[in-house]
Amino acid sequence: MKKTTESAAAGSGGSSKMHNTLVYFRQHWQLYVIFMLPAFLLTIIFRYIPMGGIAIAFTEYNPIRGIFGSEWVGFEHFQRFLSSPDFMRYLVNTLKLSVFGLLWGFPAPILLAFLLNRILSAKTKQKIQLVLYMPNFISVIVLCGIVRILLAPTGMVNMMLGTSFNFMTMPSAFRTIYIASGIWQGAGWASIIYTAALSNASKELKEAAVIDGANIIQQIKAVEWPAIKDTVLIQFIMSVGNIMSVGFEKAYALQTDLNLNASEIISTYVYKKGLLDGDYGFSTAVGLFNTVINVILLVTMNSLVKKMNDGKGI
Amino acid sequence: MASVQLNNIKKVYPYISGEDKKKNKKKNADEPEKKINLQITDEGVVAVQQFSLDIKDKEFIVLVGPSGCGKSTTLRMVAGLEEISGGELIIDGKVMNDVAPKDRDIAMVFQNYALYPHMTVYENMAFSLKLRHTPKDEIDKKVREAARILDITQYLERKPKALSGGQRQRVAIGRAIVRAPKVMLMDEPLSNLDAKLRNEMRAEIIKLRQRIDTTFMYVTHDQTEAMTLGDRIVIMRDGYIQQIGTPQEVFNHPANLFVAGFIGMPVMNFFDAELKREGDKFFVELSGVKVQLDEKKTARLLKNNVQSQPITLGVRPEHTHISDKGVPAKVDVSEMMGSSVHLHVDADGRDVIIIVPILDMEDNYNYGDLVHFTFAGNVAHVFSKETAKNLEY
Repeated sequence: MKKTTESAAAGSGGSSKMHNTLVYFRQHWQLYVIFMLPAFLLTIIFRYIPMGGIAIAFTEYNPIRGIFGSEWVGFEHFQRFLSSPDFMRYLVNTLKLSVFGLLWGFPAPILLAFLLNRILSAKTKQKIQLVLYMPNFISVIVLCGIVRILLAPTGMVNMMLGTSFNFMTMPSAFRTIYIASGIWQGAGWASIIYTAALSNASKELKEAAVIDGANIIQQIKAVEWPAIKDTVLIQFIMSVGNIMSVGFEKAYALQTDLNLNASEIISTYVYKKGLLDGDYGFSTAVGLFNTVINVILLVTMNSLVKKMNDGKGI
Repeated sequence: MASVQLNNIKKVYPYISGEDKKKNKKKNADEPEKKINLQITDEGVVAVQQFSLDIKDKEFIVLVGPSGCGKSTTLRMVAGLEEISGGELIIDGKVMNDVAPKDRDIAMVFQNYALYPHMTVYENMAFSLKLRHTPKDEIDKKVREAARILDITQYLERKPKALSGGQRQRVAIGRAIVRAPKVMLMDEPLSNLDAKLRNEMRAEIIKLRQRIDTTFMYVTHDQTEAMTLGDRIVIMRDGYIQQIGTPQEVFNHPANLFVAGFIGMPVMNFFDAELKREGDKFFVELSGVKVQLDEKKTARLLKNNVQSQPITLGVRPEHTHISDKGVPAKVDVSEMMGSSVHLHVDADGRDVIIIVPILDMEDNYNYGDLVHFTFAGNVAHVFSKETAKNLEY
């Protein structure tokens, strides 16, 4: 009987909260409109309306005739791409670059955040953070220029190693160069979100762990990791969802004729086919194929994480 | 179980940079009217100094004082969470200044419980034992025993978020006692609880103390906790010890005006009065009313060769009585407290509180009523105007 009363009270509490929210919304609807309208319009204009362009993937697109005036070819472009002899190479190159990039690049900002969190002096921490964040503001093309100069046969790396390798022409070196430079550029900036999450870790809890006898690794495991775990999971799901979205700019800028075997990925292929050869229908089909794989990966990873993490996911 | 000695302990928070030092000095120069609590030196801000205390084995010591007086800093120095800038900390005969917290054999209970949110109550309590590679069956035995003592056995599989504040604090205490530490440190453990729960938990701590044989250091700003829990109380202000003594001693014989005002609720009444020595007798004179001090007080004043002088007279509200003759005053406020009335009266521009037992009340007191109050010679505290110290000590 008591339980029934309690649950009824809880139920009425829930509905009264809902009622209060609705009343508040009715009173302040203008505020919500001002706040949400720009985001809503931007999403519609730049995310949903362009989706109509997907139709290009099913036509022999002619810019003069437009989407509806162009010849409808159905799945012909998809068949052409999937049956192309280079399809597997592009797919494997894309997957290797993104999977290895995720394996090496994803933990880097987390480790960096743990290290930054250990710096006691606020001023030293700020200075180190500034240095770590700076590479993020270098454009990809400038970054690739720096990489090319450093790795040139007469560059600093060869000087230090006492060798004269032309790293940029070695397919085996491409992925390492791509991923390492990516970590150097992005890890500091990506660590911001984890540093912010770590600031939620209770100072008293850390002190309790110290008194309990936990070493640094045990302190991270018992206090700091639980504080950022949810953020890490969400970031991981998002990263997996983008696994096929390797931007073409960097791969294209680091590409040479001699490393094409490793550096030709789906996005560079789309760029070359679509913009350089003008085969818009085919390149849209390849891009759409890429996106569909991304969505499948995102949904699969999210449900896997939810199962492993007490139903918590996106 | 261990004795703890703190010999001339000092804590200085150094300036982070020269700019901070300049800022601090400039700030002090710009704000002369603002009272500077802690001493600021070239080294930095001195949070605790000249702190010497011998804590006996199994003694319950309470550090009490207002915010910023250095009580938590002192406790954290004993825990090893703060570096000791000067002096010596000895636990069980060993100097512990540079020993890591985990090797000091201490346990600490924090104000915000500090429970690992992702662990169950059992895992929280077992954590420190696990880290010390204690065998599983022994961990289980110790955790269940501590849970039984604290009456939290039924919550062992729950996570902290599913517990109330009082239950969480019990778990925090349980986590500390499973290790059977030599010294148990408690930093305002009841501050987050509501008044009713605080009273209950206070009683629990008294019971717990009887069950586990260990030395306690307890920090609080609540004088009721200090008076009820401590074998001895250390009253601190601005980083200095003001008085060390049993609850009775600090209540009956406050060493200075600060202690007199800090201990006791409602606070002690203070008056500008005259101390008069007539041969071997001492009198206090207040608004023409002359009260002779009792033999014990007289003996102590004689021993200190105290002469007639203007003083600050302190009399506790419970020792101030309404009478036909005495110091005249006008009633401001009458607060009904149940068994007594707290009468706020205006005596020559000074707010004075008189506790009148309900049984002694003949009539209600109204605003503006003229009353007279007096006090006995054995409850009057005489403080020097110059040093604010109790002239008896």
